[in-house]
Amino acid sequence: MATLGDTLFLVATFVVLLILVGHFAWKPVTKIMTERQTKVDGDLDYAENARNEAQALQAKREAELKNSRADAVKIVNTAKENGEKQRQQMLDATTQEVATLKQNASADIAQERQDALASAKDDVAELSVAIATKIIGKELNAADQQSLIDDYIKGLGDANGVD
Amino acid sequence: MNEKYPYVTFLGLHFNLTNDIAILVSAVIVFFLLFWLARKPQLRPRGKQNVLEYLIDFTNGIVKQAMPGPEGNRFGLLALVLFVFIFVSNQIGLIFQVDAGGLTWFRSPTADPVITMGLALIVLVMSHFFGVAVKGISGYLKGYVSPVAFLAPINVIEEFTNFITLALRLYGNIYAGEVLLLLVRQLAFSGAGGPVSFVAGFLLEIIWQGFSVFIGSIQAYIFVTLAMVYTSHKVVSE
Repeated sequence: MATLGDTLFLVATFVVLLILVGHFAWKPVTKIMTERQTKVDGDLDYAENARNEAQALQAKREAELKNSRADAVKIVNTAKENGEKQRQQMLDATTQEVATLKQNASADIAQERQDALASAKDDVAELSVAIATKIIGKELNAADQQSLIDDYIKGLGDANGVD
Repeated sequence: MNEKYPYVTFLGLHFNLTNDIAILVSAVIVFFLLFWLARKPQLRPRGKQNVLEYLIDFTNGIVKQAMPGPEGNRFGLLALVLFVFIFVSNQIGLIFQVDAGGLTWFRSPTADPVITMGLALIVLVMSHFFGVAVKGISGYLKGYVSPVAFLAPINVIEEFTNFITLALRLYGNIYAGEVLLLLVRQLAFSGAGGPVSFVAGFLLEIIWQGFSVFIGSIQAYIFVTLAMVYTSHKVVSE
């Protein structure tokens, strides 16, 4: 019987084969397979990161775009408001000026009218005195008569409804 | 294959030269095949490297089926070598069978029960060794009284039946295949039917060789699968 010898031979051969294959075939190839696995994992992670970053960047850009749009709207609104305000101010100022001018003008006019009236009164008085002098032939003392004539004229004015 | 083998005695041990030559030839073929396939591995696999990586993935898959956890990692190399060695051993006798001087000099190493038992022995010893190494002596012994203590005799018997069936299944399949190859060859050269029997035997031999290639592949797969299942019983803690 060759049982023991053959078994020992088989075991020895198998163990040597195991060691040799392990060293020359298994180790290099599994190493490469592990490396590949690591690389694939790394690449996938990298791609995932890159995608996330791109998405974040896009979101940021969109937000910025939205912001700038809002800013633009705000600026335009402010400008409009400012313009409106300025216009209103100018209008107000102009209106006021016009009113002042108008007031001044009417005051001037009233003043002038007053002056004209006063001067007309004087003229009428002088004229009346001159007429009276002519008529009476005697020079009245203008100064003595002045107040009397003024009263007359005033009475005339009141009767005519003139101030 | 006439069951007469050349024997030599060396250091008081008897050697069946047929077995030893067949083992050696198979081992050398396996080594140079794997060595050649693993030449200059690259990160981007090309050609033959794909073959080896497929093989490794295949045997790793067998290991993972039995041991899904990290405890299976150390058995990848064993599964690969065991599978390729048994595969080559099964096929080699389909190609070469040498009878000379009334003695059989060459046939499949796995067509001998001693060799299949030797392979089963390697698996058995390894599984028990790693069973102790992984779970400790107490954990290893506890495996015999689980799930309940009175099953201990059955668990012990199971160790032997696993060993015997693992070895004899492989032996029976390969031995029967080679015996039939031999019978078909004898039919072809019997001269009973003249050229007709030769042609018929020729065709039958081709068909049977093809079928034996299939059987040899399946048996190699089954052997490795069962080896890993038996090992997982010892190593994996439920």
